Amino acid sequence: MGSDMRLRIGGFAGFLALLLVAPAFLGEYQVHALIVSLTFLLPALGLNLILGYAGMLSFAQMAFFGIGAYVSALMAMRWGTPFWLNFLAAGVVAGVVALPLGIPALRLRKYSFVMCTLGFAVIAQTLAKNWVSVTRGDLGLSNVPRPMLGLWSGGIEIRGITSYYYLALGLSVIAVLAFLAIVSSPAGRYMIAIREDETLAASVGAPTWRYRMAAFVLSGVFAGCGGSFYVHYYTVISPTIFDPYYGNTLLVIVLGGGVGTLGGVVAGSFIFVALSEVLRVAPDIRMIAYGLLLIVVVFGCPEGLLPLLMRKLRRPTHAT
Amino acid sequence: MQPDLTAALSMRGIEKHFGSIIAVDAVDLDIPTGQICGLTGPNGSGKSTLFDCCTGLQKATGGRVFAAGTEVTGWEMHRIVREARVIRSFQKAVVLRAMSVEDNLVLAGQMVAFPGFAGTFAIGAASRARIRGLRERAGHVLELVGLSHMRHAEAGKISFGQQKLLQFSTMLMADPRVILLDEPMAGVNPVLIERMIENINRANREDGITFVVVEHNLDAMKALCHRLVVLSRGRIIADDTPDVVVRQPEVVEAYLAG
Repeated sequence: MGSDMRLRIGGFAGFLALLLVAPAFLGEYQVHALIVSLTFLLPALGLNLILGYAGMLSFAQMAFFGIGAYVSALMAMRWGTPFWLNFLAAGVVAGVVALPLGIPALRLRKYSFVMCTLGFAVIAQTLAKNWVSVTRGDLGLSNVPRPMLGLWSGGIEIRGITSYYYLALGLSVIAVLAFLAIVSSPAGRYMIAIREDETLAASVGAPTWRYRMAAFVLSGVFAGCGGSFYVHYYTVISPTIFDPYYGNTLLVIVLGGGVGTLGGVVAGSFIFVALSEVLRVAPDIRMIAYGLLLIVVVFGCPEGLLPLLMRKLRRPTHAT
Repeated sequence: MQPDLTAALSMRGIEKHFGSIIAVDAVDLDIPTGQICGLTGPNGSGKSTLFDCCTGLQKATGGRVFAAGTEVTGWEMHRIVREARVIRSFQKAVVLRAMSVEDNLVLAGQMVAFPGFAGTFAIGAASRARIRGLRERAGHVLELVGLSHMRHAEAGKISFGQQKLLQFSTMLMADPRVILLDEPMAGVNPVLIERMIENINRANREDGITFVVVEHNLDAMKALCHRLVVLSRGRIIADDTPDVVVRQPEVVEAYLAG
């Protein structure tokens, strides 16, 4: 157990050190790809919480991501609020929206919950398309202000790709630490118990419904925050953000990386986003190749890439 | 008939219907504080369903349940566990297999150490100190039941009999007033049955915990229980000391028919 912990901390520290120095060795396009990976990390952490810890499959993640993006963009465009406030507001609004959705949805059986979140994603997209006075419909919002790092007005504007990268990295580290705090708290232990056996969890006094709700709301907060960074990076947002493609990418990251693990989801964000970028060299077969690779991953390691890797690393220590 | 408000558990007119099938038929049962009460009967006689109705796993079609004078009818399971301190075991799903033995105990102790919902999200020094306290307590409990050498093992990898002992230990972590055991000895080897009986007796004697035990193993029941209640077709057909009950003709007949 002790060596496992050291392996994990060492792995994270090494990986973070690599990420810190990466821009010095990479071209602009590769740094952009890393930023995209980090952008997906936040909603992926949220999905990991609801799916990997509370055991409920949610398709609402990208809807919360989109809601966060729109909230953050509109605040910056209309009121000129600073980035930190937009970022927090995006998370809070997404979390608040999750609450009334969760009240009926979490009372349903697992499969009905999936359908409910799918329906919500469709409604969110329809709303973004048709509430033209606010969202400008299919045109979307453009010229969203770049992030302003200041207490209220003014401050440093994030412009260059390297500055964006370090902002994304800083936010991701905070998000990973927040995720770690949640899952290692007593509440996190209850969530794992609920995923493993809901009746057994209730039999030791866990109010299961409240913890599933907490996981759902927190998954919305993570996704909303991710949307905020996304919109201030791309500076445009349109209803296509609610397309299933993005939601599928999140599922690939979490399931392919290792559902219910933190390292797996972090690794998955980089591997699967980078993979999709690398395959751009062959645009004709890109999606087919991506799909085939996913099938290979599923057959090769059904629990995800990281758990497989951890087992391989652990084996030598067991032999001694 | 008025419920017995001094009893650890008092059931009045508990009924459970599944369509036209009557699984539990107007059961009145009082379990005095400090008693070890056995509950037996042929398969399908309604024992587990009666447990389910008392612990909030299933909603009874009719009747009322009182725990130490408080009506708990219609409460959800987690609330009955937390507030009435009536806790139960299960026949099949026994422990959280992916967690360590110790973590299973810590999980069960959390409701005592963290009574509020918001408090369970804390990770500060106070929270960690409480978890440390639970680990210490888990160590004592595991020593008592004889599982301390398994402390860090994955719960799914220990033997079935040890898992049943583990489940019993997790229940002790929750400071219970009443423990309902659903077939604690089924599928367990004789040595571990002995140990289970010792543990139930000790918890009853030293911690004053009241027990209701569903079990088919009549020898074990005779050794363990102060009183034996027999259910058949959802009704109580016998209720006396174990030695008397096993000789009653209606009991013998119910078992042969079942």
